[in-house]
Amino acid sequence: MSISTRSRLRRIPAIVLAASLALAACGGDDDDAATAPTAAEPAPDTTTGGGDDGDASPATTGDGAAPETNAPATPTDDVLTIAVSTEPSSLDGQVVNDRNARVVTGNLFESLIRRDRDAQLVPGLATEWSNVDETTWQFTLREGVTYHDGSPFNAESAAYSVNRMVADDFETQRGSYIDGIVSAEATGDLTVVVTTDGPNAILPLQMAQVPMVPLGAGVEMNDAPVGTGPYMFSEWRRGQSISAVRYDGYWGDLPSIAEFRVRVIPDAQTALAALQVGEIDLVLDILPDQVDLVPQAVSVEATEFSYAAFNTYKEELSDPRVRVAMNLAIDKETLAETLYSGYARPNEAQQTSTNGLGFNHDLEPFPYDPERARELLAEAGYPDGFSIQINAPIGRYLYGEETAQYLAAQLRDVGIDAEVVLVEWNEFRDAGRIPGTEPGAFDIKYAWNSNEWFDAARVMSHITCDGGSSKICDPIVDENYEIGATSLDQEVRDQAYQAAWAQLHENPHAIYLLQQDLLYGLSEDLTWEPRLDDEYFVAEMQFG
Amino acid sequence: MTLRNDVSSDTAPAAPLDTSDDSSPSVTGGVPDPSAGVGDAPEPPDTTSDPVRGRMAWAAQTSIPGIVLRRVRDGVITLFLVIAVIFTLTDLVGDPALVYAPVDASAEEIARIERAFGLDRPFPERFVDYFTNIVQGDFGRSYWQNRPALDAVLEALPSTIMLTLAGIVGAALFGVGAGVLAGARPNSRFDKISNFFSVSALSVPNFWLGLLLIFVFAVRLGWFPTSGKFGWSSIVLPAVTIAIVHGGRIYLLVRSATVEEMSKPYVRVARSKGLSSNRVLRRHVLRNTGLTTATITGWEYVRMWGGAVFAIEYVFAWPGIGTLMINAADRQDFFVLQTAVIIAGAFVIVSNLVIDLMYRAIDRRIGAA
Repeated sequence: MSISTRSRLRRIPAIVLAASLALAACGGDDDDAATAPTAAEPAPDTTTGGGDDGDASPATTGDGAAPETNAPATPTDDVLTIAVSTEPSSLDGQVVNDRNARVVTGNLFESLIRRDRDAQLVPGLATEWSNVDETTWQFTLREGVTYHDGSPFNAESAAYSVNRMVADDFETQRGSYIDGIVSAEATGDLTVVVTTDGPNAILPLQMAQVPMVPLGAGVEMNDAPVGTGPYMFSEWRRGQSISAVRYDGYWGDLPSIAEFRVRVIPDAQTALAALQVGEIDLVLDILPDQVDLVPQAVSVEATEFSYAAFNTYKEELSDPRVRVAMNLAIDKETLAETLYSGYARPNEAQQTSTNGLGFNHDLEPFPYDPERARELLAEAGYPDGFSIQINAPIGRYLYGEETAQYLAAQLRDVGIDAEVVLVEWNEFRDAGRIPGTEPGAFDIKYAWNSNEWFDAARVMSHITCDGGSSKICDPIVDENYEIGATSLDQEVRDQAYQAAWAQLHENPHAIYLLQQDLLYGLSEDLTWEPRLDDEYFVAEMQFG
Repeated sequence: MTLRNDVSSDTAPAAPLDTSDDSSPSVTGGVPDPSAGVGDAPEPPDTTSDPVRGRMAWAAQTSIPGIVLRRVRDGVITLFLVIAVIFTLTDLVGDPALVYAPVDASAEEIARIERAFGLDRPFPERFVDYFTNIVQGDFGRSYWQNRPALDAVLEALPSTIMLTLAGIVGAALFGVGAGVLAGARPNSRFDKISNFFSVSALSVPNFWLGLLLIFVFAVRLGWFPTSGKFGWSSIVLPAVTIAIVHGGRIYLLVRSATVEEMSKPYVRVARSKGLSSNRVLRRHVLRNTGLTTATITGWEYVRMWGGAVFAIEYVFAWPGIGTLMINAADRQDFFVLQTAVIIAGAFVIVSNLVIDLMYRAIDRRIGAA
């Protein structure tokens, strides 16, 4: 089991840089997973904890049997405190998208469309929408909505919000939600038309992530955000806490909790201690082995999927039989039960939640069958296996390094000489961008994908010939993804994506591993059921 | 070990019988002014132990403005080196554009971000630009926070100053108090117990000690908040953590200096003249170890700024420069990281200067450097 020290050598300058950094590294050692750089990129594919359906509050299943818990609650004077590990960079809902920021902005801002607790798209600030033609969508807006500053929400401010975000010089982490959107225009007092640069079937899910800001909103939104949500911004003490209070002019039901504070506690152990003594009420990521230490633990099947992507351009990995064999060589049940203490489950060979668009219910996870794996390897011309490297990032994913070692050990069992190479996260990301088999390109990389779109389209860049993170080129997959990207008929898209994933089952782009859980620590008397979509609506929480 | 040697060489010139310097405000045998005590300064060795520089030389240069000018010049040079080193190192570490870009960003998108950040230009050009801007007070913008990096750092600076000052006061009280008592009676029970504690304090990582204190005093006993900066009680646990770790080192050195001083002939003379040992300790030994105490305390304070306090800040969610730097390093938000290092460096240089001047005012035998 040889772990390359290459990445460590590369890190030396960083260590020399300042003694503080070395010390900081020590400080994080015992809680790597939870203090990993959680917010360095747009997609919320951050490190997460696990959870279990058997915990205090039953997790919602993928099929979405979750009840609506935001039944009208009596407004109280309760104050809720949430701990996050890093401070948001901005509170402008149109700018940020990392989870620690969304904990705040998700409660201040609303979009035209929102997701219900089953992650289905339902009316938000728009009451209905439809596509007028292939590139034009019309939204009818809700009446009687006001921003926290008292100004009215109408077609003009909605169009302004969309146009502000799609402007070329607007820096946002939500880039994927404005792709293909050209502009918006108010066509009536309460009707807005959004134009796309081609048929864009994911526009509704994109519009669920375009928060509405007041007319004329500018950079002041970074530290004094104004939205239409149930809570309005109150104070930001930099480096310490952000607070928001109930907005009494909210158009919907008033939430139970009067005020919430988000406290920045970088160290996971400290956050746990603060939860234990009741200083905070909700910790976003706890580790499976901390479940017994918190007053209350709840979990949800997250849209986080771990996998080990193949570089199919590499000679030994070009034969689909080899890749199927490697899928058969891994005992995923045991991985989920041991390493993750049951807070994860084998993934049905696709990276979409069971209720997501394009999920193919006919596919089964690859069984654990090392015998068959050896046969397939022999058939493919590798009776004695071959040597391969598995790249895994350091301190990025919960038990990521351990999982990579587990994979290597299981692959060795079927004769493949796999070696784990641990790589610093940014270097790992860079390597993923190296095309084909050029020097530095990975053989196999262990990573997690999140699919917060609940739509197979999210995975496109990982599996299509031209995809930025893709190391596979399969015409059948591309053809179906093309249909999915251009058709406006959701049924047609669903079928196309299902066909693509059936093909990816025959011609795997990765070793499909686990669907991970998100695990949360709650104070004793807080009632909350975590959402599938990684959103944290205080309006859905209450005490007692 | 080297530290210990340094310090004993510092103390040598301060010892009463070694000095024939008439300008020293001597009491019995040229004992330096007592209040040099907790003033701190890591500077003295280079001056007093320099054999070349005679009395006349320093006498000609002791004008305070002259010292200040030379110190400022040295400080500026040091600061320039800090800037050059930190800029080069961060440049070697990685490309922020790659961090900022989404995982599946195309080459064009990355190039666009590089252009936006000005990262597509050659290194020397960027350095000259960076340096020129700093001189004009522009430390660059935080990629992450999208505001001037200097704003972010200056916002965090007071919290760190507050914590380090509270920490060093605690460390000095604990280290000097226990060090003198233990050193005056070597091998006493008190000596043995405090040796044990100080060595233990030095042997554990400071962040771990912090977590331990959180567990005991916040979770179990509920006396203090676990973390954050809300009211006076929040500073207690992080400051005590610092006081224990740094005080442990101050203790060891003060103790050995006291032991050494107690074995000197003049102590025996004083004792033989009938002075009580307490009086010898207070009137002479304490004063003569004053320079050691000041030196080591100053050194420990600077050590905190060299990084020791930053891990503590992180553990206690203290909104200081350390937490800011660690987050900036995580996100490769280089301008913030660089600014934090430069400002911390400047702070150390300025505090050294202030300490140095106080030091000279206290003990005039220390000439200008």
